[in-house]
Amino acid sequence: MPSRRRTLLKVIILGDSGVGKTSLMNQYVNKKFSNQYKATIGADFLTKEVQFEDRLFTLQIWDTAGQERFQSLGVAFYRGADCCVLVYDVNSMKSFDNLNNWREEFLIQASPSDPENFPFVVLGNKIDVDGGNSRVVSEKKARAWCASKGNIPYFETSAKEGINVEEAFQVIAKDALKSGEEEEIYLPDTIDVGSSSQPRSSGCEC
Amino acid sequence: MLLNVIEDEEKWLAEGIASVQQNALFMHRALDANNLRDALKYSAQMLSELRTSKLSPHKYYELYMRAFDEMRKLEMFFKDESRHGVSVVDLYELVHHAGNILPRLYLLCTVGSVYMKTKEAPPKDVLKDLVEMCKGVQHPVRGLFLRSYLVQVSRDKLPDIGAEYERDRDESSVMDAIEFVLQNFVEMNKLWVRLHHQGPGQDRDKREKERSELRDLVGKNLHILGQLDGVDLEMYRENVLPRVLEQVVNCKDEPAQYYLMDCIIQVFPDEYHLQSLETLLAACPHLQPSVDVKTVLSQLMDRLSNYASTCPDVIPEFLQVEAFAKLSSAISKVIEAQVDMPIVGAITLYVSLLTFTLRVHPDRLDYVDQILGACVKKLAGKPRLEDKRATKQIVLLLSAPLEKYNDIVTALTLSNYPRVMDHLDNETIKVMAMVIIQTIMKNSTCISTADKVEVLFELIKGLIKDLDVTTADELDKEDFEEEQNSVARLINMLYNDDPEEMLQIIYTVRKHVMNGGPTRLPFTVPPLVFSALTLIRRLQAQDGDVVGEEVPTTPKAIFQLLNQTIETLAVVPSPELALRLFLQCAEAANDCELEPVAYEFFTQAYVLYEEEIADSKAQVTAIHLITGTLQRMQVFGVENRDTLTHKATGYSAKLLKKPDQCRAVYACSHLFWVDDQDGVKDGERVLLCLKRALRIANAAQQMANAARGSSGPVTLFVEILNKYLYFFEKGNPQITSNMIQDLVELITEEMQSDSVTADPASDAFFASTLRYIRFQKQKGGSMGEKFDSISV
Repeated sequence: MPSRRRTLLKVIILGDSGVGKTSLMNQYVNKKFSNQYKATIGADFLTKEVQFEDRLFTLQIWDTAGQERFQSLGVAFYRGADCCVLVYDVNSMKSFDNLNNWREEFLIQASPSDPENFPFVVLGNKIDVDGGNSRVVSEKKARAWCASKGNIPYFETSAKEGINVEEAFQVIAKDALKSGEEEEIYLPDTIDVGSSSQPRSSGCEC
Repeated sequence: MLLNVIEDEEKWLAEGIASVQQNALFMHRALDANNLRDALKYSAQMLSELRTSKLSPHKYYELYMRAFDEMRKLEMFFKDESRHGVSVVDLYELVHHAGNILPRLYLLCTVGSVYMKTKEAPPKDVLKDLVEMCKGVQHPVRGLFLRSYLVQVSRDKLPDIGAEYERDRDESSVMDAIEFVLQNFVEMNKLWVRLHHQGPGQDRDKREKERSELRDLVGKNLHILGQLDGVDLEMYRENVLPRVLEQVVNCKDEPAQYYLMDCIIQVFPDEYHLQSLETLLAACPHLQPSVDVKTVLSQLMDRLSNYASTCPDVIPEFLQVEAFAKLSSAISKVIEAQVDMPIVGAITLYVSLLTFTLRVHPDRLDYVDQILGACVKKLAGKPRLEDKRATKQIVLLLSAPLEKYNDIVTALTLSNYPRVMDHLDNETIKVMAMVIIQTIMKNSTCISTADKVEVLFELIKGLIKDLDVTTADELDKEDFEEEQNSVARLINMLYNDDPEEMLQIIYTVRKHVMNGGPTRLPFTVPPLVFSALTLIRRLQAQDGDVVGEEVPTTPKAIFQLLNQTIETLAVVPSPELALRLFLQCAEAANDCELEPVAYEFFTQAYVLYEEEIADSKAQVTAIHLITGTLQRMQVFGVENRDTLTHKATGYSAKLLKKPDQCRAVYACSHLFWVDDQDGVKDGERVLLCLKRALRIANAAQQMANAARGSSGPVTLFVEILNKYLYFFEKGNPQITSNMIQDLVELITEEMQSDSVTADPASDAFFASTLRYIRFQKQKGGSMGEKFDSISV
């Protein structure tokens, strides 16, 4: 059954406010960049078609609000994610320190079936700023953290210059695909449908 | 009861999810079989679950997301005409047949997005159609989610500049996109506000919580607008912002207004805000009085000042658009319009404006003063502030310029600064005074003119004098001492190279500290005295340059001032401190060769000793200070010196405890033998002193014997022996080697007698004294000869 195979991959981008989540997504999907900070409200996604091993996939990339006050409905959209991208700003120690919180929060809320092996990708963004002079998180430190969390792939990116964005999303897509296919195995083939297939009427008649 | 509600909700959600999953499974099978009819049927059934009214927005969102994810699969199926063989135009017609409106509209939105993607229809028409049709759902929660679905699925198909769906690359199609989002925003906001008015009154809290959860669905539209490239500055300023604000103002709903203002500020770029400040700010006074405008404006100013600090090259733009004037006037208008705003709100606004100003225009002191002035105006005619939060804000307001400029001198030039302080309660005045002093200390700022000192002391008056009677006793002693020590340190930071100005500074400080009352004077007078003495020494050093008798800045004049100043301390009463200061002055007068002045200071010190210092320990300390100072005085003629030394020896011999007496008396011996060229050298009287000391030491031993059955240690004798040795070496003819020999023997004898308490310290002292004598003997030369006859 060809349609059993996944063609839609869901990716969630998380990280502190202002690290460049929206910019990374825009750079990857639209090849556009704006220097101006604009907050994201709630959750928003863009899609992009990707070719992988002769197959076409739709990558559904969810950009999220880094500011908690713009996440009033909660994070139900985490569910069903195939890969989670954690972004920090290499010029902000705090944004790096918070990666752990974002990762844990994601694992709790998304409750993937195999949290140990759920694919994350870490991006250290804004490497272009001030020619790297204002950088406070070293690549070594970031890589050490990634290694300690089960060898999370790590990329240093610049959404502004488009550095490593394509490469990072290649890996993101590959990991998402892998996790998606493994997930597939656990899908039950049949479900007991005899009990109540009638739509229950609740709410108004509109 | 609440628990039941939650449990029920969980149950309903679980049922909803189960049904969504079940129908999704049927839908999948239909999709696998390329069966369009079944796919539509089961997807409609799945979407029917979203018709529930039983779930809170949070739970509803969970259910919605389940359906949402499934709908993506259906969307992909729709896209692939080869699988179902129906053109997208026909598909768009076909889904109209769904029975219930909610599933129908979800399906329509989904097909609509595919329709736009295929470019078979102008996006404009599809968007218009969809946004109109969604009006069919007027239930707030369902309507909001439906519309948020619409805007999400059409989001990347909106005709935007550079987007592939922009058909003719003309502005009208960009306008279509903007129109669509704006219209959707307006409709969503209406639904959201309406929720407030629905249902019974007692559920209001719950409803407001639900509303709060739903807010991001409304705000999302603004986010989408912010992401559209077509919304350039002009489009934003002329079209988008006025229309959004119109909706915000007209909805007359407090939470909506607050939230949406926050969204506007956050989702659009800094540059847009700067270039459209007037429009945005004009809306503020029209918001509901309960809206927390101060937070809104603070956030705006925060953003703008961050902008200015990260890109300094935009600062000319700030000036060009008169950002400060606009913000300032907007704040006044808001304060004016919101008559019920508590004072803390107004001050918080001024604090934000000040923070903005200090970050963006640090060079514009006039702006800073204007803000303080506005604050004074607001506080005018009101009683002193009692509100803790308000005073805290004022402290922030007043501390901000100090922190920024690291320099109190700048603050002292702000005419409104002290006027703001006038409105503080006494405690806060003190807190502020400490902040000011700490700033000066931290930056080692030197305050160099009397005028500035005057302003400064006016600012810190809370520490300088009692502001009212009641607070005086309440203060913790430690806190008080810390405060006063700070003032003392501050006095040392006041300095000018010009003696005249320095004297004026001293006069000013004196004027203020003299009001301090008995508890403060002991802290503040000493630094004042030392500051004046420093000036005197400076004058003395440049003696040659001073021309004419008319110069008011003479050491003599300053000494007079000091005399009066220290006298107040004596009355406080703090006689011991006064005595020390008098002696310091006497020594300074000595250096200036002003005999009468020095004599006067000594007289003052003696009077204090006689009349005020009764404690015997204090007397001992005082007499040693007197002797020590007097010994160094060279200015006195024979007569004056005799009088003073005579008195000093007299005081010494009258101390209460014998050992004290003894030590004071042998110390007096130095008054008669000053070891420099023109010093007094009265060997006879030295000997008299030492003999007298010996007699007293003897008496002390006997008294101890009588009282305790054992005499004290021989320490006193050893001390006197050392004095003998000193004068012997200095060549006092009255001191002979025989006398030393006798004394050594006397001590040795004493030490062997049983009645003497053994004391290792005095034994060691004596032993090392003997060693010294031996050393001198072996040295040879004239000194060795001198010591030759002494045998130890």
